[in-house]
Amino acid sequence: MEFTIGLAAAIMGAALAVGLACAGSAIGIGIVGQTAAGVVSEDPDKFGPTLLLQSLPGTQGIYGLLIGFLILQRTGVLGGNIVEMTVHQGFAVLFAALPIAIVGLFSAIAQGKAAAAGVLLIAKRPEELGKGIIYAVMVETYAVLALLMSIMILFNIQF
Amino acid sequence: MPSNDQYAYAVGRVRAMETRLLDRSKIDRMVEAKSAEEALKVLGESEYAEYLAELGSVHEFEKMLDYELRRVYLELRKISPEPELISLFTRKFDYHNLKVIFKAHKLGEKRDELLVQEVGNIPLTELARAVSDEDFRNLPPQMRQAAEKLSEHFRMEADPQLVDLLLDRAMYAEITEMIVELDSSFLKDYFIYLVDLLNIKTYLRVKRINRPKEFLEQALLPFGEVNMMKLVQLAEPLEVLVDRLMFSRYATVIEEGVQAYQKTDTLTRYEKLADDFLIKYAKQAKYLVFGPEPIIGYILAKENELKLIRIIMVGKINKLPTEEIKERLRDVYV
Repeated sequence: MEFTIGLAAAIMGAALAVGLACAGSAIGIGIVGQTAAGVVSEDPDKFGPTLLLQSLPGTQGIYGLLIGFLILQRTGVLGGNIVEMTVHQGFAVLFAALPIAIVGLFSAIAQGKAAAAGVLLIAKRPEELGKGIIYAVMVETYAVLALLMSIMILFNIQF
Repeated sequence: MPSNDQYAYAVGRVRAMETRLLDRSKIDRMVEAKSAEEALKVLGESEYAEYLAELGSVHEFEKMLDYELRRVYLELRKISPEPELISLFTRKFDYHNLKVIFKAHKLGEKRDELLVQEVGNIPLTELARAVSDEDFRNLPPQMRQAAEKLSEHFRMEADPQLVDLLLDRAMYAEITEMIVELDSSFLKDYFIYLVDLLNIKTYLRVKRINRPKEFLEQALLPFGEVNMMKLVQLAEPLEVLVDRLMFSRYATVIEEGVQAYQKTDTLTRYEKLADDFLIKYAKQAKYLVFGPEPIIGYILAKENELKLIRIIMVGKINKLPTEEIKERLRDVYV
């Protein structure tokens, strides 16, 4: 196994996709968790619905992990048969990781806030859980679009 | 990352607590109750239920309100990420206590039952010691200056009105300073409106008792937006005041309040309208997600609720007609 600059760039892409998207999810889930803890300390029955809302910003981290995993697979780091690649190809893989890395970071935080607002909504009106979830899920659209673009770039790089 | 996130927990707590505030229908049922006992019973289905058993008779309802006030402030102090925010609202109890102690010490009016325990920032023993030793060094700067000025004045002449005048001014000066540090435009505007409405009330009162301009100047608080001294002369009729404020945000309060004042010679209506104006402003906090505003909103809502219960209970105990109580009732936050 020989390390080249191209390979290092590709691995950096995988690291960024997982690192930033997961950091975003952690922050987002943290915000919802705090708000949910506040509500549950007054009203313990709300644990179930608030947990549901709290889980929503977690998807960005999973998308990031998926892209990271796909990069390692396509470059052959997983399995040991490393694909020969130029510096340009390596950087192309790095760029493929950027949509989900950047959008994952920010959308998870934004979704965390929307979900926290949803927690506040059900603190007052428990019957409106569905609407609270929908508002938070709207943010998901953009994480999915970024994921899609990352996959498309990644699979269209010819080695 | 926005620092408002630090309020995530507190806002969750407060929103859940808000659901237990008395709503319009409970307030209405209290007002419609046939007797004071029956009105109190409505509270049996609310946060106040736990205190009801401890009350010997309806006349002790103030005790219940005291307990609740203490509970709310102690709780909020624990959950607020910025304790200064709560101190801002509990400052008034320190000043209130200092007034009571000052009057007790210098004028011999012993009214210990008026003291507010535990909620303030300065222990009562410290305030009592400061007044009896005339040593105000441990008090916050504004309070200290006012207290020193007061005890100097009192060596020559004991004037109870001066206690209120000087300490109120010091309190608003201190609150204004605290607000600058908290950096919340919601809070800043609230206090500006509060001071303006208070100044207009002061103007109406001073005009009525025919005091000179200098007295009015001393009584007005210089922390609002409306400059009453420039706006209107004491000698001018009330219509001038109404005219001048016609296009300000206080127009409705002034127009109706002053009209009722001219008719009935009491400020009850004005006070109700002014409180409604402030509660309406505070309601904006309901639509903000993160930050100190929901906590401020809850404090204002709770204080308003305590005021409502007091108005109803006093009315019921004195057997006022339902209609008359209704007229005095303020709007509710929830």
